[in-house]
Amino acid sequence: MRKKPPPSPAPAPAARAAARAVPEWLNSPLWSASTPSAAPDPYGADLSPPPPPPPKPPPPPSYEQAVGSSRRVEEEEDEEEAGGGAALRAHLLADFKLALSKKLVNMGELRRLACLGVPDGGAGVRPLVWKLLLGYLPTERAFWPHELEKKRSQYSAYKDEFLLNPSEKIRRFEELKLLRKKELNTDNIGLLPRSKVTNEEHPLSFGKSSLWNQYFQESEILEQIDRDVKRTHPEMPFFSAKTNQESLRRILIIFSKLNPTIRYVQGMNEVLAPLFYVFKNDPDPSNSASAEADTFFCFVELLSGFKDNYCKHLDNSEVGIRSTLSKLSQLLKRHDEELWRHMEITTKVYPQYYAFRWITLLLTMEFSFNVCIHIWDAILGDPEGPPDTLLRICCAMLILVRRRLLAGDFTANIQLLQHYPSTNIDHLLHIANRLRGSVAS
Amino acid sequence: MVLVLALGDLHVPHRASDLPAKFKSMLVPGKIQHIICTGNLCIKEVHDYLKSLCPDLHITRGEYDEDARYPETKTLTIGQFKLGLCHGHQVVPWGDLDSLAMLQRQLDVDILVTGHTHQFKAYKHEGGVVINPGSATGAYSSVTYDVNPSFVLMDIDGLRVVVYVYELIDGEVKVDKIDFKKTATMHA
Repeated sequence: MRKKPPPSPAPAPAARAAARAVPEWLNSPLWSASTPSAAPDPYGADLSPPPPPPPKPPPPPSYEQAVGSSRRVEEEEDEEEAGGGAALRAHLLADFKLALSKKLVNMGELRRLACLGVPDGGAGVRPLVWKLLLGYLPTERAFWPHELEKKRSQYSAYKDEFLLNPSEKIRRFEELKLLRKKELNTDNIGLLPRSKVTNEEHPLSFGKSSLWNQYFQESEILEQIDRDVKRTHPEMPFFSAKTNQESLRRILIIFSKLNPTIRYVQGMNEVLAPLFYVFKNDPDPSNSASAEADTFFCFVELLSGFKDNYCKHLDNSEVGIRSTLSKLSQLLKRHDEELWRHMEITTKVYPQYYAFRWITLLLTMEFSFNVCIHIWDAILGDPEGPPDTLLRICCAMLILVRRRLLAGDFTANIQLLQHYPSTNIDHLLHIANRLRGSVAS
Repeated sequence: MVLVLALGDLHVPHRASDLPAKFKSMLVPGKIQHIICTGNLCIKEVHDYLKSLCPDLHITRGEYDEDARYPETKTLTIGQFKLGLCHGHQVVPWGDLDSLAMLQRQLDVDILVTGHTHQFKAYKHEGGVVINPGSATGAYSSVTYDVNPSFVLMDIDGLRVVVYVYELIDGEVKVDKIDFKKTATMHA
């Protein structure tokens, strides 16, 4: 990426400046979020001689070429009228449809297309693409109906098992055992018959195995889920609809019961929202009707890569959120040491102040909803997998505003990063792409 | 699934000092949605304690209650059921099921909860069900000294009620349950 000049005994100003210099392509005004200012770069990148061209990282050639070529085409067309852009989108949509119509979907091809982003007007395409990328649907088309059927009925079983309150559960249990042969609906007048309560199965019980006790202990989590669901994207009418809120609630409750180690963590509702939105708005009515079941499994799949970030006990371990944040730090250091030094050492803006939300919420709160869905196309589509891709995008977000960060102090930088400015997403994803290579551990 | 606690005739401090410890340990806030109390608490402290268990508290006046503002009878609707509440000393003969049935028809309720006799009873007649939660402290009644502390917790779920009866017998809490369903004929 960037070669350091050989250390000299008495570092001359030029050499020192060269050590802090930044690769040519990073300084191009095309990548900067803010308008290029008239003032010269205070860190002397303009003054030092350009460092030797960095060796390119070795990506799979076909991928890089394909992305590179598309990008170049898009850049040229940026100057032309919007008509050119529309043609490109239509072409991309056709490519998607072609890839999806094959009997055996080529995942490599699909991932390549996904990283370009599903174009607008692809409402029917995106749910299918995401389901394939998350491994919910197998690659052989022929197996789709069977798989969907299996998964959706499994979700129904989960609903029955986890969503009943103790009254209903006990009633079902008794009905199953036909205990109440003696019809309660008797018109007999007289003292009502009493039956013994077994296993401490009464509402005030503190017994470990009591359904009631478990119910009341979980009620706190249920309340938290309830509150968060009601607060999800209040500006969007889609999420104010009671039925949709109920669906989100059910998915989160079942997830929390199936995953006792992480239960429910605030913010999972935000990660769930785009998935559900995309699947529910599938133009195919049968898919839309089963959106809840599909979303559940895709949510599980998506979170599986990030699970360790949510587990409190793993916070300080090698796999928890702190370690992820330090990976981000290392990534920044590898690709832009100057910025890293300024952030971590000079202004002490550590990743936990801004990147915590970026990572645990998968960037859903940093960009507008539609932009976020576009970024998720890339996160889900990238062959490196969502966790690594997310880190690269976070790093790219920092690099994109490097000029402002370098000029800012602690307060200004925190302000900037916690309210990330809207940017050109294609540029952002392009930079993230250029940071490819193994994520430093 | 609505949990309703029915209790009464505590007679604190005149005849008993407090609820039995085993009952108190079970009654924690946050589980119960409504409390209906037949009366004879008798002092404000008991009222405050019940209020701490659940904010939705309904009380009717017993003959020894110090707060004269409680009503003689009360009706409320919980889910599909109409409940009526009355202390029961007004209904003579005390504890007579036919007379209570008359009161029930007057109040036009599915379930009538009364006390005064300090004896648990759950009785069904054409007009509905009468439940007497007994005395929660085991205080002696006008009729007998032999009283086991008891109270009732109703789980109202749609058209079905499961009544859990908690009694303190020989120092141990015994729980029984009674099931009944509301039918169309129960209410003329």
